[in-house]
Amino acid sequence: MDERAISALREIFGERLKDSLEDRICYSFDATGKEFLPDAVAFPLTAEEVRRTVLLANEFRFPVIPRGAGSGFSGGSLPVRGGVVLSLERMDRILSIDTENLVAVVEPGVVTETLKEEAKKRGLFYPPDPASLKFCTIGGNLAECAGGMCAVKYGVTRDYVLGLEAVLGTGELLRTGVYTVKGVVGYDLTRMLVGSEGTLGIITKATLKLIPLPESAATLLAFFRTNGEGARAVAGIVEERITPCAMEMMDRTAIDCVREIADLPVPGDAGCALLIEVDGPEASVSQEAGRVRAACSRFGATEVRLSTDAAGREKLWELRRSISPAIRRVNPVKINEDIVVPRSRLPVMYDFLSDLAARKNLKIVNFGHAGDGNIHVNIMISGKDEDERRRADDAVEEVFRKTVELGGTISGEHGIGIAKAPFLEMEVGPLGVSVMKRLKDCFDPNGILNPGKIFVSESAARP
Amino acid sequence: MRDEELRNLAAACAKCGTCRTVCTLYPERKAEISVARGKIALIDAALSGRDGNLGAIEGALSDCLLCGRCERACPNQVLVEEILMKGRADIAKEIGLPAWKRLLFGKVMPSPGIRAAATAAATAAQRLLAKSIPTGSGLHYRFPEAFGLSGRTLPGFSAKGFIASLAPGEAATGDVMLFVGCVFDHVYPQIGRASYETMKASGKEIAVFRDAACCGLPAMASGDRDSALRCAEENVRRLRAAAPSSVVFPCGSCLVMFRRNLLTLIPETHPLRGDAAWVSGRCIDYASFILDSGVAESLPDPSGSGGDGKIGYHDSCHLSGTLGKGREAREVLRAAAGPAFAEMPGADLCCGYGGAFNVRDYATSSRIGENKVSLAARGGTGVIATACSGCILQMRDMAAHVQPSMRVAHIAELVFASLSRR
Repeated sequence: MDERAISALREIFGERLKDSLEDRICYSFDATGKEFLPDAVAFPLTAEEVRRTVLLANEFRFPVIPRGAGSGFSGGSLPVRGGVVLSLERMDRILSIDTENLVAVVEPGVVTETLKEEAKKRGLFYPPDPASLKFCTIGGNLAECAGGMCAVKYGVTRDYVLGLEAVLGTGELLRTGVYTVKGVVGYDLTRMLVGSEGTLGIITKATLKLIPLPESAATLLAFFRTNGEGARAVAGIVEERITPCAMEMMDRTAIDCVREIADLPVPGDAGCALLIEVDGPEASVSQEAGRVRAACSRFGATEVRLSTDAAGREKLWELRRSISPAIRRVNPVKINEDIVVPRSRLPVMYDFLSDLAARKNLKIVNFGHAGDGNIHVNIMISGKDEDERRRADDAVEEVFRKTVELGGTISGEHGIGIAKAPFLEMEVGPLGVSVMKRLKDCFDPNGILNPGKIFVSESAARP
Repeated sequence: MRDEELRNLAAACAKCGTCRTVCTLYPERKAEISVARGKIALIDAALSGRDGNLGAIEGALSDCLLCGRCERACPNQVLVEEILMKGRADIAKEIGLPAWKRLLFGKVMPSPGIRAAATAAATAAQRLLAKSIPTGSGLHYRFPEAFGLSGRTLPGFSAKGFIASLAPGEAATGDVMLFVGCVFDHVYPQIGRASYETMKASGKEIAVFRDAACCGLPAMASGDRDSALRCAEENVRRLRAAAPSSVVFPCGSCLVMFRRNLLTLIPETHPLRGDAAWVSGRCIDYASFILDSGVAESLPDPSGSGGDGKIGYHDSCHLSGTLGKGREAREVLRAAAGPAFAEMPGADLCCGYGGAFNVRDYATSSRIGENKVSLAARGGTGVIATACSGCILQMRDMAAHVQPSMRVAHIAELVFASLSRR
């Protein structure tokens, strides 16, 4: 990067600009495990500093990569072409929580759980709950449109955004959206920015919708002998016209990972487990929990455990939470996909996955948010065998083709980044890609913002 | 730098970011370089040759309290403490230790004789330099600004340590061995004394480990593995020869060294490995001894002694976190202080000491420690009890900054006070 650009940045950020090799290494990675070295890291405190950085970038033509907590799984915050990582972790103030209008205004670096906790103190609820909620940031959640367990009932990040403030690739500060529940004034630029992975604008402020905190909840853990039974129970619960706030499915491959963990008693014949949570007013929760239990039994559950108190519920959740850390026992390297199919096609997808694992001689662990059709397909490889790696890459492509064929989507909540760029067109088609690129040109004509993401022609490494 | 073992340990990190949520230092630094996954990335860069500036990497690795929270939170069970200590040791091998650490750890600590002489020298120097501060907190002196230790309050090194105060032949033999530790011998001999007297109340014969070397943790944490190993070897040899049924530690950090680090320091191939495992298996915390030996239940009924809710317990990272012994210490406190003991806000926050970290970055160490003490004071706590030497050094210093009326005590002192009411 141009020495003059570094000096100009230092004028903006002073001590908050870091360009030692050590500092750059610490911002070269995210949760994908891939590494790309940036030329510098800056820690802005205001939208104005972000704006001035992007203006400089247009002058000196360097990439600007916004970054939250670097917890993404698709490479969205990786500086694949170098440039300046703008780490927004220090813009972490909750500016207001308006209990009359049920609206929160926050800076992008606020940690998701912090907002959830602050809302909770006021009897309010910010539902999105990605697995990384303890450290991921609202800015990153917005840029990737993060989901989570409760999406089946409450939706995803996109459903809680009323308005945004963002610096475009031109250095202009755009304010979008509303402070109200409704609003149809012109194009929906807010939703345009949500999920755009930092390629259209750098979000500097967000106006978020809150809802009343549910009064109570009940958690059920049901074991089945086969995936088919479990998947039919999911359909059965939907038939009952109940919307659980979580419906997690773990197949045999996932259960096997945690079978030996002592304090998690798993029935010996369990080949599938469903974790279901219902929430709402107490009376309706206990009634719904009863109906869920009955539905599980009807579809062949060998055992159903139910808990309504916090400690007991947490105990049931342990099985689900133990899977992610435990799957590395299968193999050290995880290729983690997050496909979604229409709920009714889940049994077909699960059958396909178990057949695929056998055909390709791969270890594939599947679990996920069955309530919304989202399956985390984890292909576990040794990382040392070239042929195994090739078989895994082939398997990923087959999974994506099958997903699209079943009317699903290749990424439910991780985004495209660099990991899925080659498959974008498979789902959205050539015209879809072309319209997206035209939009990109409009927001960021010089290609300053997070280059090398989403589009395959952009994915090449830095020149 | 090459180290296959370290490379494998570091490879277990998936860079997920969980360590950001629990890091004591992250809220201060707000940068990846302060958290475990950043430091592990740097070690990886050093091992692969991508970053050859080992001095800078050493600086980054040293910017850590070794509080262990990241390790306990890690979903992949990455051995962060081991990785950082090994990383520091590998770098020290390549470029040497910083001079002040070399002086402190290489010469002073392994041998009890040299350590006593060093303490005497320090006492003299301190008299020369010190200014009295008018508090009753047990902190008598302050080093002058010129020392680069602005604002630091240090305890007066006692002219006579606890072990030196024992009569000839006193506490020389016994089935239970008391490992006093450097701080409770030389700096706070009254805590060494309180530990000894309260353990005697069990009716068992207590031997004080008189010719103990330093536990070795400060050296090991700083990357001086050779000094740490020499300390460990001396201690293992002498303890194995004395063959006690148990070795009791009033200090959680010394105990973590024996319970956990001894076996990473003395590998399978080392001739002392068998003895080290034998010794390590017999090391217990002070509170467990007081509970198991019946001292706790023999204490007079503490109810009605007043000061309800005034005494809080501070969780030492090593004792409560790494070793999981917070419950035992609290049970002892309940037996000794009754309703005067109550949970204080922020009990499990790190005190910010971190051994060499406190010397390296006193300002940050102070911010973390002052916050800890202020939080306890705002919650109505007047006495912070704990069971680790570093935490006591730090919190007494911090109390002198922000809350001079706050007393910081070892749980043995409270047990001792209760016994004297009997």
